Amino acid sequence: MDLVTLAIAATPAFIASAVEFVEATTIVLAVGITRGWRAPLAGTAFATLTLAVIVATFGVALVTVVPEHLLLGVVGTLLLLFGLRWLRKAVLRFAGIVALHNEEEIYRREVAELRARGLKKTEWDWVGMIVAYKAVLLEGTEVAFIVIAFGAKGAMAMNAAIWGALAACVLVVAVAMIVRGPLTAVPENWMKFGVGAMLSSFGVFWFGEGIGAEWPGDAASIPVILATFLVASWLAVRMLRGLVPEGAHVEARNV
Amino acid sequence: MSSLLRGIWENTYGLLVDDGQLAVGAIVALAITWLIATAGSDAVRENAGWLLLALVVVLVVANLYRAGRNARRQVS
Repeated sequence: MDLVTLAIAATPAFIASAVEFVEATTIVLAVGITRGWRAPLAGTAFATLTLAVIVATFGVALVTVVPEHLLLGVVGTLLLLFGLRWLRKAVLRFAGIVALHNEEEIYRREVAELRARGLKKTEWDWVGMIVAYKAVLLEGTEVAFIVIAFGAKGAMAMNAAIWGALAACVLVVAVAMIVRGPLTAVPENWMKFGVGAMLSSFGVFWFGEGIGAEWPGDAASIPVILATFLVASWLAVRMLRGLVPEGAHVEARNV
Repeated sequence: MSSLLRGIWENTYGLLVDDGQLAVGAIVALAITWLIATAGSDAVRENAGWLLLALVVVLVVANLYRAGRNARRQVS
């Protein structure tokens, strides 16, 4: 397997996972700082274990059992659905229709809720553990999905995707330990925009390969597909800004 | 058991679908591309990927336009 294929698996896995880890880290930090670190770290460890089992089970089964053409079709479909969901929300955010994702605000809200629940010093902090477990598992499921999707081309690609996600995890946790607060400096909204376009592009590319389409230059077509999505999204943001008055925030589910 | 299964289903569904119309539209675009690639000539099949890209881009822009109109109706 060549370096391009490995980079195709590792880079999107790294960027998309970094976004998810930032969100999970905010919750774990909020729990740790308000209620102590033992329970949230235990919750995080259990969630990581659960995710490892998910990746090992589904990842290995997909790579070894499903025929390659069918696999490309299935993974392409899932990546496209997953990517379009991110892209749509990102465009609505940049158009001012949905509020931008704000890590600082989420952190403050979480801290206030956790303080309100109270803490008995003599008991094991089940609340802290469960909140951390759920946050890491929920965000981690998306990481697991991305790793499985980008690693579906074979064992080497799977390893590259896992290493990409692990590198993102180590980086995010290291920075969070230094900052000791939510990672508000991470340009999350821009990253989500990029990841949405990237996942959609890979979805189109792989589904095309799955049905026997020929892409000029093979993987070299991916930047062209990505550019098409980015230009279309940028035009959509401009269209929506003209359509809806500035500052008119509406919940994403209602539009 | 049923609540656990419902929870798994809701999480999986939520992972892939934020707007039902966009998700259904994407599935329809994939199905159209697959049908055309299967039934068409070699040349059509080889270029089916670009057809899919065009369909998806039109779908996204149309879906966002509808979302914008809905949002405008809600705030006015």
